[in-house]
Amino acid sequence: MALKFLVVDDSVTMRRIVSNSLKNLGYDNLVEAVDGKDALAKLAADTNINFVITDWNMPVLSGLELTKAIRGDEKLNNVPILMVTTRGVKEDILEALQAKVNNYIVKPFTPQILKEKIDQILANN
Amino acid sequence: MAKAPNNMSGLFEKLHDLKSLFKYGEKIVPIIQSLVDFMQDTVPLLENINHSIADSTAKIPAASNQINNVTSATELATTEILDLVDAISMNFDKVESKVNLAKEKNKEKTALLAELQKEVKKNSKAMELISKYMEIKESEEALDFVGELLPKFKDDTYHITLSLQVQDITAQQLAAVNHLIDSVQERLSSLIQDIDSTEIKELTVGKIQAPDGVAFDPNATYSKSKDAQNMADVIVNNVNSNHNNNNKASQDEIDKLFS
Repeated sequence: MALKFLVVDDSVTMRRIVSNSLKNLGYDNLVEAVDGKDALAKLAADTNINFVITDWNMPVLSGLELTKAIRGDEKLNNVPILMVTTRGVKEDILEALQAKVNNYIVKPFTPQILKEKIDQILANN
Repeated sequence: MAKAPNNMSGLFEKLHDLKSLFKYGEKIVPIIQSLVDFMQDTVPLLENINHSIADSTAKIPAASNQINNVTSATELATTEILDLVDAISMNFDKVESKVNLAKEKNKEKTALLAELQKEVKKNSKAMELISKYMEIKESEEALDFVGELLPKFKDDTYHITLSLQVQDITAQQLAAVNHLIDSVQERLSSLIQDIDSTEIKELTVGKIQAPDGVAFDPNATYSKSKDAQNMADVIVNNVNSNHNNNNKASQDEIDKLFS
């Protein structure tokens, strides 16, 4: 099944950087969302989305709340989630893992790290 | 009549007390005078401080708005840079495809010339000219040179976009500063209300207007250090391996990893 990414970040800069990085890795099939609520709407509207890359700090609905919402939805709970955030303290990482993100990247990220984490998630799924 | 001396004695005692009181008064009056002078000097000073706090408080929203403007401006500038970088990358792609096409055509030309050489074997002058023509390699070398540099250019432009992550991180730092300014304004406002029991008009006019939908990490930092990512990797790996073994990673186990 072809991968379709959902890139969720309230920063237009970060959305573009993550999207560009995905395109550089050969993943052209992607959509973007400006916050967790927008992401849930996109997920509901497009069942082909099968990979979520999300920021944590976002207005309306944060990345952590988005993760919990996805994991609590029986139609979506298997969608892999990669958190890409500035929050790099141990407690935050643990909280994200408890919410069941599949992997975690601390900004600023490098393309190598992004590729490595996507590959790891795909290998484990 | 027998009470007269007692009355006189009492009167003298009272007069003595009064004298002591006057003497004490003589000593205390300068102190009270100093206190009054001090108060006279201090009250305007306090009023000045009050005005100064009120003035500073009234200016805070402008500072806060200025920070919001900086964030908007840097986001706009970053978007423009990203647009330009995208355009440059697209042009690199076009140049790369032209270079590759030119290289292919050069190969075809060389093959055709080799074929032509076979056809004109008997014509030594023609053979010589073809050989000389084939020896001219500048255009091929130039194409190879450009072809080798293009991926580096593309890589460099891509790394420019990656460096622009700093915009998101500084935007969060500025949002945190704004939040702090907002808190200071609230405290000062409350202090002034306590002192003056009237709210400053400017405060209501110049209320900080936080941009809609701002969420930030107050500890956001732009660092190329891999420490935070390495820590995340260790925790993720540890939690995942415990999960695979159907065990939950305890906080103690994770703490041990970093002790």
